[in-house]
Amino acid sequence: MISDISIGQYYTGNSFLHKMDARMKFILVFALLVFVFLCKSFFSLALMVVFTIFAVLVSKVPLKMILKSIKPLFIIILFTAVLNIFYTTGGTTYFEWHSLKLTEKGINTAIFMAVRIIVLVVISSLLTYTTTPTLLTDAIERLLSPLTVFHIKVHTLAMMMTLALRFIPTLVEEIERIMNAQKARGAELETGGLIARSKALIPIFVPLMVSSFRRAYELAFAMTCRCYTGGEGRTRMKQMKLKPRDFIAALFVSALLAGVIVLNHFFKAVI
Amino acid sequence: MTPAVEVRNLTHYYLKGTENQVAAINKINLCVEKGETLGIIGHTGSGKSTLIAHFNGLLKPDEGEVLVDGKNIFESKETLRQSRFKVGLCFQYPEYQLFEETVFRDIAFGPKNMKLPQDEIERRVLTAAGMAGVKKENLNKSPFDLSGGEKRRAAIAGVMSMEPQVLVLDEPAAGLDPAGRRELINMIKNYRTATGCTVIIVSHSMEDIASVADRVCVLNKAEIAMLGTPKEVYSRDEELREMGLNVPEITKIFLTLRKRGLDVPEVFTVDEALAAFRNLTKGGGNQ
Ligand SMILES: Nc1ncnc2c1ncn2[C@@H]1O[C@H](COP(=O)(O)OP(=O)(O)OP(=O)(O)O)[C@@H](O)[C@H]1O
Ligand SMILES: [Mg+2]
Repeated sequence: MISDISIGQYYTGNSFLHKMDARMKFILVFALLVFVFLCKSFFSLALMVVFTIFAVLVSKVPLKMILKSIKPLFIIILFTAVLNIFYTTGGTTYFEWHSLKLTEKGINTAIFMAVRIIVLVVISSLLTYTTTPTLLTDAIERLLSPLTVFHIKVHTLAMMMTLALRFIPTLVEEIERIMNAQKARGAELETGGLIARSKALIPIFVPLMVSSFRRAYELAFAMTCRCYTGGEGRTRMKQMKLKPRDFIAALFVSALLAGVIVLNHFFKAVI
Repeated sequence: MTPAVEVRNLTHYYLKGTENQVAAINKINLCVEKGETLGIIGHTGSGKSTLIAHFNGLLKPDEGEVLVDGKNIFESKETLRQSRFKVGLCFQYPEYQLFEETVFRDIAFGPKNMKLPQDEIERRVLTAAGMAGVKKENLNKSPFDLSGGEKRRAAIAGVMSMEPQVLVLDEPAAGLDPAGRRELINMIKNYRTATGCTVIIVSHSMEDIASVADRVCVLNKAEIAMLGTPKEVYSRDEELREMGLNVPEITKIFLTLRKRGLDVPEVFTVDEALAAFRNLTKGGGNQ
């Protein structure tokens, strides 16, 4: 069913990561994504993996949820790995068949790529698992606020994003309701060729559009009635404040960077 | 006679397999006879909408079965499709399902899906529009240009035009003003006398149900709590109140009068009450 789609995959919790400032999380996740690509030796990569596992444990998000976020990317990971095995060559050759060559460097690159993607996905999904969509857009708004200098309406963009996220479940519910109503009038949605099927969507999408516009107008009225005038001069009920725990996390990530650089320096680069 | 709709031991769970699993309806047994008008009442979330969505196979039972005209609707694809046309379901706030360019074409959507010939479609649309009280001059307007009440009528006509054997209406009068409510209830009564169809009507309003229904089914917490004539059901006003329901105001007054020792019958509508009072004063005058 449609209702199985989960967007804004927040996992309710009260861990260290949940309590961290969303802005700091954003910056640190971004830094970590860069670090993953700095790793050149197996040891620095291993350090990265250990750190990721540590972060997962700290977040208290069940392993099942983490695996769920990797699962859809499994094919892509496999594909990149296989591609890299044969496309990068160098070092000892283990096996040769026509133009395909299995070399030491190829295998290393494949492993690196696979691990990097997995780490990337796990770290970024940790961000969405531990931060509510509202906080996430809030953080984006504040991090991008310097862009207002270039007359970009950051607040408006962030508000649009928040509203869009907020209305996804409502729309899903609405689609289901309209589908049922039309099915009750004998509409056939699941049979017929491509043209018949796309035609069958009209009775769903017209009412959906109409009610979406109605809802948008109503929302705009409601917001105006409560004196919403956009971002200018707007203050916040919940101020974001950096707490000691955010600096501890930052320190930790800096230490990780140092570790990666040192390990890269002392051990052989393999890719 | 085979009943129009019969459900046996019907159970439906939402969010099945998760920790939030709830039985929205639980082991329901219900028989709706041909030609009768059944009222379904119950507090919010008691499972009324869930129950009626089974009557034409929109929801699949997790346990139990649904028989329309004596046939299990999930027997084959064909029986399922037939049940869609035999049981016309009109949802809560049906006005949000209108989509065609004109009201006429929207009402014709159901008959068109039944693959009827053009002249038959036209006949059905006109009859249904007449019965639902859609004004002639509105038929060629866009459905989005109608008022809320007119949209509601158009949407109900869209279900009536399939000429179903059983017409199911979920909260048809919700959100209408008192005059609109009365008109709608009268419309349902007229529809029933004109076609002789089975009608199932879901409502929060005891008054509305009392004035149209032959039998009343009270749902409470996913189960049938009472089933009987309005008289039988409304005399158990204490129990109804415990379920978060209220008997009609006028019935309450008369029940109190009876408790005080006045010899009045049980009434459910203001008209009945008036008649009862007339009787009473007549009787009093004779003494
Ligand atoms: N799509 C759904 N997913 C999960 N739970 C649902 C869903 N639809 C209904 N429910 C639950 O099932 C129960 C019965 O719902 P239902 O809509 O049948 O109630 P109702 O009697 O029609 O109420 P109302 O008078 O408000 O229309 C409710 O507790 C509701 O929370
Ligand atoms: Mg309902």
